Amino acid sequence: MIAQILTALIFFASLWLIFSERLNRTIVGLLGAALMVGLGKLLHFYTESQAMAAVDFNTLGLLLGMMILVAMLEPTGFFQFLAVWAGRVSGGRQVRLLVLLGTVTTLVSMFLDNVTTVVLIAPVTILICEILGITPVPYLIAEALLSNTGGAATLVGDPPNMLIASASGFTFNDFLTHTLPVVLVAWLAALLLLCYLFRRELAIRSPKAEAVMKLNPRESLDEPKTARRVLVVLCGAILLFFLEEVFSLSPAFVALSAAAVALAWVQPDINAVLRRIEWSVLVFFAALFIMVGGLEASGVLGGMVTLLERIQTIPPNIFGLVLLWFTAGLSAFLDNVPITIALVPVLQGLEAHGVNVQPLWWALAFGAGFGGNGTIIGSTANIVVASISERTRTPITSKLWNKRGLPVMLVTCTVASVLYLLLYPLFTR
Amino acid sequence: MVIRDCMKRKVFSIPATATIRQAAALMTEQHIGLLPVVDRQGKPGGIVQLSDLLSLELPDFFNLLPDLDFVHDFGAAETACPSAEELDGPVTMRMGPVTFVEENCGLLRAYALMMKHNLYDLPVVSDDGVLVGLASRVDIGVAILATWATVGPSVT
Repeated sequence: MIAQILTALIFFASLWLIFSERLNRTIVGLLGAALMVGLGKLLHFYTESQAMAAVDFNTLGLLLGMMILVAMLEPTGFFQFLAVWAGRVSGGRQVRLLVLLGTVTTLVSMFLDNVTTVVLIAPVTILICEILGITPVPYLIAEALLSNTGGAATLVGDPPNMLIASASGFTFNDFLTHTLPVVLVAWLAALLLLCYLFRRELAIRSPKAEAVMKLNPRESLDEPKTARRVLVVLCGAILLFFLEEVFSLSPAFVALSAAAVALAWVQPDINAVLRRIEWSVLVFFAALFIMVGGLEASGVLGGMVTLLERIQTIPPNIFGLVLLWFTAGLSAFLDNVPITIALVPVLQGLEAHGVNVQPLWWALAFGAGFGGNGTIIGSTANIVVASISERTRTPITSKLWNKRGLPVMLVTCTVASVLYLLLYPLFTR
Repeated sequence: MVIRDCMKRKVFSIPATATIRQAAALMTEQHIGLLPVVDRQGKPGGIVQLSDLLSLELPDFFNLLPDLDFVHDFGAAETACPSAEELDGPVTMRMGPVTFVEENCGLLRAYALMMKHNLYDLPVVSDDGVLVGLASRVDIGVAILATWATVGPSVT
């Protein structure tokens, strides 16, 4: 009992420190993991080897592999090329520009890291808006929101999906058949809603629409040869993700192999590539896994599962909806990664007790994916866009985000809820 | 040789109560790129550089772009002007921290400080901290080069 109380205390104190941002989340994670293992050794419920076994190397490997590919693609100017292309094709027409930039951001975010996508596309977006003499606010907000929404579509689009896939055994194709259709509808609803919410800004005609026609996308591509090679490897990796069941490959193996092939083919300055990897994210993930492993070993999660089993009188589809909105509500204010990492063992525990948790995994994916749109601090992409906007004439405020982002979150979650109920039999298998 | 020997003694400065519009007018009138912001005693509390004011015209996002080779026309941005409210705002809004040296500072130390802080002009203050001069990289660099003349030719 003492072990359960103390591990719960360590875990929730760490979560509080992470969410309150009083300390860097990676430092908190490492401290919490160290305390958890130390306590486990002292009270004989959690050993170092158990802690190592708790680390989900499948998720970490997948993240690392994809990060290496992004780190190689980043300096080539590929992201800049896409944004410049969108600007030119739009011909300076605002709604068309919003749709094009939003679509480009979504498509890239479905396969690559949301934050990198937004960080590299947002400055070009501002430049295009400056050239056109229009406000960049609708575009920046749309890019963050649609990037978050698009990321929920695939296994590799968002870290929570990677965690869910690793814990549930869902494949890349499972995500394509279960989340992609829902995300497509939700994405379309979000885009239409954004066009409506920003109708006043988008109605203003640019005084210099012809100037964007002088943008040259080819010139924005700094290293076309490297970009081509990395993209070929990335396409190969995506193809293998499709075929992972046929060849019995894990997503981590595919991503790390793709990274190795790309590195061998391009032969970049390896130190420069590795410097661009977000090591702090990987360490944070590993530390959280160790903490959750401690909770599991001490029996806290078992207790939570028993508690949840008592409310099994609720119909399973309604239980899924509750989980979706609960996760979305939390994700609107908190990082969706720790939320997912904390909920994964709970769902695994329910499964061990004979509950069909298949639909619950999907509810978790939708909640974690769409919830982050609600507030300016809901996702890293939102925070990054807001901080980039501070370097423009029109910074994005928290109040403005609540007016534009919150409706998008509510609409996408509602769309997901309706489709979840309508297609419930699909989500049970 | 110390910085007192090569600095310009005619220094333009503005009080902390000045507006951005006044700072811009003084820079335009005197064709200068840096203005120390001084208090009532004439002690520098900050500096306003040309780039600090021009960031109103070309916002800072520009530094996030890896290059601009693909932009052949700045379009509407070329004719954009700050608003009246922005121009009438206090100059302290655009003020940066000041690095200064005392009159008896050695030239090489002054030059090293400018390199370290990426400065093109260095305010010089008296013993009691009052602004008395300004030395540019060229003023200091040329003064250092002048000392080389004292070195005789090599004997072969």
